Amino acid sequence: MDKLNHSEVINLLIQLCVMLSLGRLMAELARKFKQPAVVGEILAGIILGPTILGNFTPEAFEMLFPTSGASAVVLDGFIQIAVVLLLFIAGLEVDLHIVWQQGKQALYVSLVSLIVPFVAGFIVTWFFPEIFDYTDQSKQLVFAMFIGTVMAITALPVVARVLMDLEVFKTRMGMLIIASAMIIDLVGWIIFTIILNMMGSNSESLSLSKTIWISIGFTVLMLTVGKGLINKALPWINKRLAWPGGLLSLSLAICFLGAAFTEYIGIHSIFGAFIIGVALGDSKHLSERAKEIIHQFINNIFAPLFFISIGLGIDFISAFNLQIILVLLVLAFIFKVLGATVGARMGGLSKYESMAVGFGMNTHGTLEVILGAIALNEGLITDEIFVAILVMVVVTIIASAPLMKYCLKFVPTKN
Amino acid sequence: MFERIAIAIAFSPRLQTLLAEANRIQQLFDSELIIIHVGSHTQEDDMKMESSLKEAGLQENIKVIWESGDPAKRILSVCKKEKVDLLVAGALKKEDFINYYLGSIARKILRKADCSVLMLTEPSLKSNPSQRMVIHAEDSPYATQAIKVGTYIGKIQSTAQLHIVREIKLYGLAMSVSSERTEDELSEIRKNLVNEEIKIVEDILKEVDTKGLKINIKVISGKSGFELANFCNRTKSDLLIVGAPNRKMGIFDRVFPHDLEYIFADLPCDILIVNPKRKNG
Repeated sequence: MDKLNHSEVINLLIQLCVMLSLGRLMAELARKFKQPAVVGEILAGIILGPTILGNFTPEAFEMLFPTSGASAVVLDGFIQIAVVLLLFIAGLEVDLHIVWQQGKQALYVSLVSLIVPFVAGFIVTWFFPEIFDYTDQSKQLVFAMFIGTVMAITALPVVARVLMDLEVFKTRMGMLIIASAMIIDLVGWIIFTIILNMMGSNSESLSLSKTIWISIGFTVLMLTVGKGLINKALPWINKRLAWPGGLLSLSLAICFLGAAFTEYIGIHSIFGAFIIGVALGDSKHLSERAKEIIHQFINNIFAPLFFISIGLGIDFISAFNLQIILVLLVLAFIFKVLGATVGARMGGLSKYESMAVGFGMNTHGTLEVILGAIALNEGLITDEIFVAILVMVVVTIIASAPLMKYCLKFVPTKN
Repeated sequence: MFERIAIAIAFSPRLQTLLAEANRIQQLFDSELIIIHVGSHTQEDDMKMESSLKEAGLQENIKVIWESGDPAKRILSVCKKEKVDLLVAGALKKEDFINYYLGSIARKILRKADCSVLMLTEPSLKSNPSQRMVIHAEDSPYATQAIKVGTYIGKIQSTAQLHIVREIKLYGLAMSVSSERTEDELSEIRKNLVNEEIKIVEDILKEVDTKGLKINIKVISGKSGFELANFCNRTKSDLLIVGAPNRKMGIFDRVFPHDLEYIFADLPCDILIVNPKRKNG
């Protein structure tokens, strides 16, 4: 069995130490400006990566983050695990119970706010690929679908935080946004799984129809039979094993099993992790306290490693393309906001409440970054497009709270 | 509170106990009583009904309606036609797998009734006033009415303990997105989340006469109906009062259970669903 040598072990440990400590420091800085940790962690990656450290002290950067060798491979392994775990907690956040409670209204908001930006993103990318300096014609369809999906997704954890800060988390509007973001997550990841398969990087890629059916079939199976099995197993685990140790290790075990299964059948591992998260999170036996513990564990250890790693592979200054950034921002601020606002109006909300929903739903975050990172790794998008996605994510995060606050000023009473 | 009460009966071994309960409920609310029987209607049945009513002491302010056809549909249609405020029926605590998906009479009534419904799991001949009651102050346009009905019953029956249960929605998500706070801030958020819910219940209680009642406001988190059923079981409560949901439930609600579906699947005790729609209509 190959093992890391003495210096590689030291290197790996220092990498983890530097990433986690600077990530924390920058997350704290973001906190001071009332921004989520993810903003600080991406900045930490930019500082540690070729953009700053690599430009000013290339030797230190090379020494700390070698691009080849065992420690680089092991760090990549950590990051792969982090992505799977991030998708797992994204799934845990999807509470089907809340979705059912919100009923038709949430369906209107989610579908319209998914379809309008998706179609807008698709059309602009399909007909004007030159805007994105995109030259690979063979992947144009997949690329157009990818941009559409990025535009359509809403970042549930970020929007939940904004709603809490604005003290509208538990209002009718707040719950509507949360439920709609949950539906978008579920549908968005099924679409992205299809896109991943269409990228065709996997040598054993399935046909499009097979991917769609397997993805939907796996989702339905996990949410019915799978959830039933989880409902049988969890009371036993909670009663007989140490808490929360037993629950934590077995939850992650089933997450990895689901991820391995979907990877094996030809759809990406992250999809399995996400759906397992949804099934587990929807179980009546998974307490809110247990959810909180799983979240804390992953959000504070694995999430920073992933978000910082993003900055390690890209020079943000040379990949900064204002034109692409502006196109994405315009698409997000016109079509995503418009779609969600129209959906909320269709759902019976007042004009200003609907606009607040529109700005709330235009909050991008973790999932878009993961989606972009995977697409970048698979060679679907360029560094410039990825940087533009990151900028769009950060701008929408920063803008959503003040814009929602402004709209809510005109809403007579909080309901 | 409930001016017209109906009770759905069949000539089963539970008939006499159900009629005894109907008698007490009629007296409790000082109301008219309608007896609904779906099934055969022979002369023999008439005599059987007459003697049963006599035995239960039900003679005044009573109307008997005989119907035939699908029991749940017929019962609900009579309630609509007769403008019934409260329908009383018996139910088994647990539903088997087939009934859960196809729906027993009792569950169909619970899911589809347009009026308030009292489902009795263990009707008894002897007076058996509720000792520990739970009111769900949650997710229903009629939560306030449920509290009013619950406190009224609690006072009349001198209930020993009245729990009013309120849920913190998405507690796990709320706490996890608050993880970028200091320990003190986090515990403050946790405390505030609970206090906000207690305050909502306290505000409702200000409008209600609760004199002499021992009230405990309990805040729970988790899957709403499931945790509520757990709470009823834990506190050995004998009556659960909930407001009717804002929509009727269908097969999807059974496949992906939520809220009251958890309760319907496995009734923890007698359940009263407060639904004053008929009044408004």
